[in-house]
Amino acid sequence: MKNFSLFILLTSCIFRTVQALAQAPNDAIYMKSGTLCILGAYGQSSWREYWENELKRENLNIGTNTTTSYMMMVAVGLSSKLNLIAGLPYIQTHNSAGNLLGQKGFQDFSVTLKYKIYHHNGVSLSASLGASVPVSNYVPDFLPMSIGMHSLSATGRIIFNYQHKTGLYLTLHGGYTGRSDITVDRDAYQAYDHVYNTRTVAIPNTTDGAIQIGYLKHGIQATVFIEKFDCLGGDNIRRNDMPFPTNDMNGTDIGGYLKYQPSHFGVNFRYAYVTQGHNIGQATSFSAGILYQFGFKAMHQAETENK
Amino acid sequence: MKSTYSIYSSIFLIALLILSCDKVIDNAGVVSYIPVSVDAKAGTWKPYLLTSVNDITVSEPKSSTDPVYLKEIDSLKNYIAPRVSPENLQAVAYWGAGAVYRWNEIARELAARYNLPPASNAEGKYPVPDAANPLADPKFPFANPPYTARALAYLSVAQYDALITAWNYKFKFNRLSPYKNDPSVKPLLSATDLPSYPSEAAVVAGASYTVLIAMFPGEIPYLDSKLAECKNASVWAAMNVPSDITAGDALGKAVAAKVMARAKTDGMSAANNQALTAGLIEAAKGRGIINTWLSQETPARPPMLPNYGAVATWNFDKATLVAIRPPIPFVVETPEFNKDINELKDIQKNQTREQARIANYWADGAGSYTPPAHWHRIAADAGVKAKYSEVRMARMLALVGTAEMDAGIACWETKYYYYTPRPQQFGLKTSVGLPNFPSYTSGHSTFSSAGASVLGYIFPDQASTFTAYAQEASNSRVYGLIHYRVDCEMGLVHGKKIGEYAIQRGKNDGSGL
Repeated sequence: MKNFSLFILLTSCIFRTVQALAQAPNDAIYMKSGTLCILGAYGQSSWREYWENELKRENLNIGTNTTTSYMMMVAVGLSSKLNLIAGLPYIQTHNSAGNLLGQKGFQDFSVTLKYKIYHHNGVSLSASLGASVPVSNYVPDFLPMSIGMHSLSATGRIIFNYQHKTGLYLTLHGGYTGRSDITVDRDAYQAYDHVYNTRTVAIPNTTDGAIQIGYLKHGIQATVFIEKFDCLGGDNIRRNDMPFPTNDMNGTDIGGYLKYQPSHFGVNFRYAYVTQGHNIGQATSFSAGILYQFGFKAMHQAETENK
Repeated sequence: MKSTYSIYSSIFLIALLILSCDKVIDNAGVVSYIPVSVDAKAGTWKPYLLTSVNDITVSEPKSSTDPVYLKEIDSLKNYIAPRVSPENLQAVAYWGAGAVYRWNEIARELAARYNLPPASNAEGKYPVPDAANPLADPKFPFANPPYTARALAYLSVAQYDALITAWNYKFKFNRLSPYKNDPSVKPLLSATDLPSYPSEAAVVAGASYTVLIAMFPGEIPYLDSKLAECKNASVWAAMNVPSDITAGDALGKAVAAKVMARAKTDGMSAANNQALTAGLIEAAKGRGIINTWLSQETPARPPMLPNYGAVATWNFDKATLVAIRPPIPFVVETPEFNKDINELKDIQKNQTREQARIANYWADGAGSYTPPAHWHRIAADAGVKAKYSEVRMARMLALVGTAEMDAGIACWETKYYYYTPRPQQFGLKTSVGLPNFPSYTSGHSTFSSAGASVLGYIFPDQASTFTAYAQEASNSRVYGLIHYRVDCEMGLVHGKKIGEYAIQRGKNDGSGL
């Protein structure tokens, strides 16, 4: 179980709150055939300032918005070239000021299949396809308190990796996420300066990409990354209004990831900080997880490199 | 591996399905219909503000054999019709739903666009929107529920007074439609027996435009385009010749100018008189309200329109306003108060998804068209379903619209008379956002009960549906944790009384409806 990512965040493209953990739909690391890894992780993501359209501001009636997540994940080596990764987060939101009621619940179940297309001399190319589906009937448009967008999503991703025998590696990946229309409780809403007299809301699709540079050897993984995600279209948060699922949310964040797995048990940590954004909060996020691997062997990629 | 590949391919198919989904939400809505009646006697119905339907003079049109008129018909057939573009056809279909219906919808959209409270500035103050500079930050107006109730009331009254005037002239001059005068003219919308001069669509356009540019002065370019499109659509559709349109537009604007004269002196300019609040608080304390309302925002925001209760009412006088004011609510720390606050605490702990849904459905908060506009929408949609003529639609919306504004005035008067605290002053949160004004009585309950009672009179067979809507809208404020049960129950009672005055007017307006 490797690199944790913004996977849930990206598929939900929520107001930059849901910092969840999913293994590696976006890395080039594979479980060996017949092995299985489970993970439990705790994550927290907070912002005090946010971008209301172009305006960076604080909101004294929000204070600090905090999203807490409890993630359950499983990764399975279906073959040495094909891995399945599934996850489900439980999410809670909270403001330190004002009177908006925090929301909580199980969010979206996600499943991803990752396939190694090419691998030679430390260079590999992988592709992953994933989908997510909401598992509870949470409210999607009470932002920034909602725990998700309540959209079906599907993500396609290409992952390039180069691993040097010293353990240093470079990963580049890019993904596209399609998001279904959502249904809100109200039967009219405003978007793009128009009132839509319907419960159906079209929310923009998204793209994302990242560069990761790190070290992976002897059960140790240490990575720094820069990530970027964009909604393809969408409108802006109006002056002094709250966000809405149609918003054109985008941002860049930088961070680091650390994992140590000497045996069946392992631990991991992740930290990320949003450096620039639009219609999102400037979140600082961290997570910590415990992994257990059944049929423990060194990860396939590392193992290959060590041969 | 076969099963793996089938999982893989089904995920791929789901992915394709989602990636290819259409991101355009169809918002066209209503389509053209033939009214159940042309309401030929509407010229005899009672106006709101005109002294009679002869206040505004409309000159007699050219006869159907006059060369000037024949030239208009010829132009309609041989110049305009061949040049109607696909965009023109879209406009014809859009306006075919009815001018009253569409202008009401436009006003609701503008209300939503302007329904945002000003942000606090660096000094911790909330700048007041400036009508002379409507697009600055904060934009003018802040189209909150009282503002929107008033804007829509004037819009509907102007449409109604203008249309009954138009109906008077239509049947006085009895100019036939272009397609009745010349069967070779092919209308793009359904033919009716309604005389075409002055054009009812242009009457509504001119009246609506005049009210809305005053209410939403930052939207003049947008309203100019809608005015032009509405008038043109009737010509593109061959429902009218240009002289029908010109006369209708002028009539609509003249009636609306008289309506706006009342708006300028109805007391709205003093509705935000914050100098009164200290006295209001003292008076409420004198009535036994120990814990008065405090803004829960940071920095504290001045209360919304504390003097809106002094604005001129439509369907009853100020003595009646006082006479029907709800009695004093439970005072903090009484057993009745504790029962209500405990209900809210329980809901906060265990809010069901259905309670959240109801709270969200009726919330109509910041960025929405507000509760009074929600009732205009319910009314307008019911009117379309019942295939109402333009003038009958306007009558209904004027009855609903004046009742909604009266509800706003009477509710606001009550709110500031008692100045009671919100549940948030006792530690409650909210799942819908907290309005910045005193609690008792619930505006949603008052607006909804008034709207439901008027609509129940107009559509007796649907009365129980509207009553259920009002009850649910009222409950929604308890489920959203921002009102005590007593606020909502007394608001419903109050709103029903307010609606009765509109119903009395409707029964006596000469329509026989």
